[in-house]
Amino acid sequence: GPCRVSMSMAEIRSGFNAIKANIQARDPIRNLSILSYPHSLHKVKSSERCCITHQLFTFYVDKVFKHCRTEDSYINRKISSIANSFLSVRRNLELCHEQNKCVCGQESLGKLKQILVNYEGLNVTSAAMKSLGELDILLDWVEKES
Amino acid sequence: GELYCSLPNPRNVRFESVNMKNVLRWSAPEGTGDGVLYKVKYSVYGVGKWIRKLECRNINRTWCDLSSETSDYEEQYYASVKAFLNGRCSDWIETARFNPLTDTKIDPPVVSVSSTEKSISIILTAPEKWKRSPEGESVSLLQVYPGLQYNVSVLNKKTKKRWLFSISNNTLLVPWLEPGTAYCVSAQIHVTTPLLHSGFSKEYCISTLKDKVA
Repeated sequence: GPCRVSMSMAEIRSGFNAIKANIQARDPIRNLSILSYPHSLHKVKSSERCCITHQLFTFYVDKVFKHCRTEDSYINRKISSIANSFLSVRRNLELCHEQNKCVCGQESLGKLKQILVNYEGLNVTSAAMKSLGELDILLDWVEKES
Repeated sequence: GELYCSLPNPRNVRFESVNMKNVLRWSAPEGTGDGVLYKVKYSVYGVGKWIRKLECRNINRTWCDLSSETSDYEEQYYASVKAFLNGRCSDWIETARFNPLTDTKIDPPVVSVSSTEKSISIILTAPEKWKRSPEGESVSLLQVYPGLQYNVSVLNKKTKKRWLFSISNNTLLVPWLEPGTAYCVSAQIHVTTPLLHSGFSKEYCISTLKDKVA
């Protein structure tokens, strides 16, 4: 959409790459994806990209990161630095949203609702860890579209 | 019924991917000589249903090409291997989650060079994504990674002076060079998002033409 937000994707991506194998290994559920079930993010119309990006960053900041504690302090540090990056990106997206350039259509509302249904279908720790393990799905989509 | 699975497990089960040619590889179970056979299955993350790879059923090699099954790089995948020997079997041993977009390795670009008296012009070609058959449609990795760039190194063989360029398009003209001098060019692919880079290509050397006036 019209809302071009410069994001420190490389920072988030490298933080995630450092913990990806560890976090994904903690997720034994193969037949459900929070972000991609039943339809991939890549199927979403690009006109609704700004809204979904904003809502997804809000989802991660408000719902996911707080439930992602592990017994490993290195992993926890990486998670909190990713969370901080998300906070600053979400702040940028907030500006867009306030300037009404980030309109949410039916499709994005439906997609976001499905994501919440997927999330709430699991216990909160499993759902949060699975969502964290799917960050590459989110980053791949955001980077491809930008 | 299921055989009693007391055979040691296949080891180091992983995807090895180059230009999205995605091959499942593993090492034989510890302490087993010849005669071990394997089965392979794979699944799409989020769908979860395991699908047997028929062409890799009861094979004795320790790899299985799953490029076709994992060609949609907007998805992620798991694969799994089971070993059999003399009526015994191992557990199914799985890979980590495989993301073709971020977990593939990229070959260096193809470099072609030509020269005039005082300049070299370089044309770079990114490798193609793996395709099912030679007649299949060619997809350049440039289409897969819009943020793809090239790092180009140009070395003056006489003075050993080296220049490094970072370019987004695939052609580069290097001007103001010395006539009648050998220059060697090598190039690397660099993708910013997601962060990926190839090795440097081998060196392609060429001489600038001799100065006609001299």
